[in-house]
Amino acid sequence: MEAIWLYQFRLIVIGDSTVGKSCLIRRFTEGRFAQVSDPTVGVDFFSRLVEIEPGKRIKLQIWDTAGQERFRSITRAYYRNSVGGLLLFDITNRRSFQNVHEWLEETKVHVQPYQIVFVLVGHKCDLDTQRQVTRHEAEKLAAAYGMKYIETSARDAINVEKAFTDLTRDIYELVKRGEITIQEGWEGVKSGFVPNVVHSSEEVVKSERRCLC
Amino acid sequence: MSDQDGIETPVITEATSILEDGNYDPAKNSESVDQCTKPESKSEPVASTRKRPEARSSNDLETSAVLPSQTSQAVGKDSVSKEVAQTGWGYWGSWGKSLLSSASATVATVGQGISNVIEKAETSLGIPSPSEISTQGQYASGETNVKENEKVSPLAGPFGVFSTISTAVQSTGKSVISGGLDALEFIGKKTMDVIAEGDPGFRKTKGLMNRNSTLSQVLREVKEKEELGTSNEVTMETDKKTYYGLLFDEFQGLSHLEALEMLSGESEIKVKSILNSLSGEELEALKFELEQLKEAFSLAEFCEEEDEEEEKKENEDFTKEMMELFSQLQVSSNPEKLTRARNTINEWITTSLTQPLAEKSEEEKYLEIQRTEQINQNSIEDIHAFAIRSLAELTACSIGLFHKTAALVLHGQKQEVTAVERSRALSQMTVVLCKELSTLSKEFTTCLTRTGVKEKADILNPIITAVFLEASNSASYIQDAFQLLLPVLEISLIESKTELPQA
Repeated sequence: MEAIWLYQFRLIVIGDSTVGKSCLIRRFTEGRFAQVSDPTVGVDFFSRLVEIEPGKRIKLQIWDTAGQERFRSITRAYYRNSVGGLLLFDITNRRSFQNVHEWLEETKVHVQPYQIVFVLVGHKCDLDTQRQVTRHEAEKLAAAYGMKYIETSARDAINVEKAFTDLTRDIYELVKRGEITIQEGWEGVKSGFVPNVVHSSEEVVKSERRCLC
Repeated sequence: MSDQDGIETPVITEATSILEDGNYDPAKNSESVDQCTKPESKSEPVASTRKRPEARSSNDLETSAVLPSQTSQAVGKDSVSKEVAQTGWGYWGSWGKSLLSSASATVATVGQGISNVIEKAETSLGIPSPSEISTQGQYASGETNVKENEKVSPLAGPFGVFSTISTAVQSTGKSVISGGLDALEFIGKKTMDVIAEGDPGFRKTKGLMNRNSTLSQVLREVKEKEELGTSNEVTMETDKKTYYGLLFDEFQGLSHLEALEMLSGESEIKVKSILNSLSGEELEALKFELEQLKEAFSLAEFCEEEDEEEEKKENEDFTKEMMELFSQLQVSSNPEKLTRARNTINEWITTSLTQPLAEKSEEEKYLEIQRTEQINQNSIEDIHAFAIRSLAELTACSIGLFHKTAALVLHGQKQEVTAVERSRALSQMTVVLCKELSTLSKEFTTCLTRTGVKEKADILNPIITAVFLEASNSASYIQDAFQLLLPVLEISLIESKTELPQA
């Protein structure tokens, strides 16, 4: 356990049922591929530290949401407090790609007044022979919404790290530039705990001096 | 750790002397008490060097536990439990809280200074002093027949509190329990006073002192305090490993708890608005049904179960029981994560408790000892860290399970079980989980006392206390989280009623 990180970002992972959200997250946080996976109930929670620059760590809290419609009223509640999101579709399932619009509309309604930085993820890219969505059209759609596009595979561990760290870096840049700010009552970005040994000893010295005067 | 000990020692002596002053004529009742404990001692032939301190400790405890029951029986169970919940003792008595049939969710009182009370009260309750434990241990290590010690140890030392309570149940029934808690409360108040004078600045669990907050707020505060602590003393590697709140969060316990609170809160609002919209007979009928649900949430089974076998449960039993209860719930989720975590913990304990068997040949014995020693290279700090980690993990898993259950009860497919049946299964599950935590904490302390044979008492004692404290806290968190399920089942009951005519 490492308690020292610069920021904590909350990321939400959404997309149709069975596109592989939980598998992607588990590959990222646990480093393994779960062959069989029960459908997610409501929401699930994961976390991992990411080093975006040497010595600069960000803690990611990842919210895994159920794709099933019946849990929508639960998962909706989690948009608001997310700073970033991975919107997944399955490249072998055209329907899941067509639903990307709806997912974006859905989040837009529930994230107000905040914003989520999304990345579009074409998942299961190991199954290229069964592909139903071309890279080109996915990139086009992503660009139309100002998102990046990346293709991943949890089974073969392709681009899984990259998908999460790229998104984290993008958010970090926005935070650095002040375009995203830490706000009271919003959990999307929180500042972390940095050792401040020097700082605190300075304080001690100061207060001692004051006493002596 | 050392500065903490420095503060503690004088306070302990003070607390003990106060208890002695306030002791009600122990001589008069010690006979009857002896009768409760004697058969137990007889059945287990132990070296007298080991037995004595234990016997005395349980005597002390039972004396104080039995006595007030005679004077306070008229007070009645309800008032006693309420009082208990309002004082710091609510949490030491959290096992006790479930022994009583009241188990109200006392989120607001989560551990007002429990840590203080317990550490001190440990002594005042006549639990063997750390030095006694370590002398016992030294004797034990000298003996060849270690197996027998193992048999006794779950009843020994700091676990005295639990085993004596259950002994009392066996012999005299419920009234003793309420009386016993009354006594605990009395001692608790005394101890509180002593502590208030002595040591107001207590470390880790300080965050728990906050009142009127939700369970997750309380736990979040604990975690944040601990985070501040760790970032200020980065060098204290070992310390970091024993921060319950941080670990609880690491296992996603906080997130699950917040999610559960959210579902619970939403359901509560719905239930209220439905109740407001009803009137007359309809309202009465519904209220009656909701009352039945509430009864199922009262955890009454705890004490009846207690006097059955107190034998150590096998891994499969826990897993089987959880699986069975879960199938009764009929939610399409399973407790696999929890049972897996629990089994891993148990394997660890079993390994570190493996002892050379007496009937083995000398050579085998030698090899065994070598192996055991290797495993037992775990320092008491290692065991402490593992114990706290395990408790945090099991609690987080349990609360995660409750959260999933709530989500499925609210949004799952059609149900073939009634809300009341589900409530019963859930309350049974809560009992099983809390018992499991109690068993685990005993086993961890067995590991600690065994490994810490050569340690100074003032090193070993706070660790043992910390393990018990966190186990007791964990049980309280689970019970409080369980109570959060009530509105969820209420709304599911109401919804199933309105859906029925249509179907």
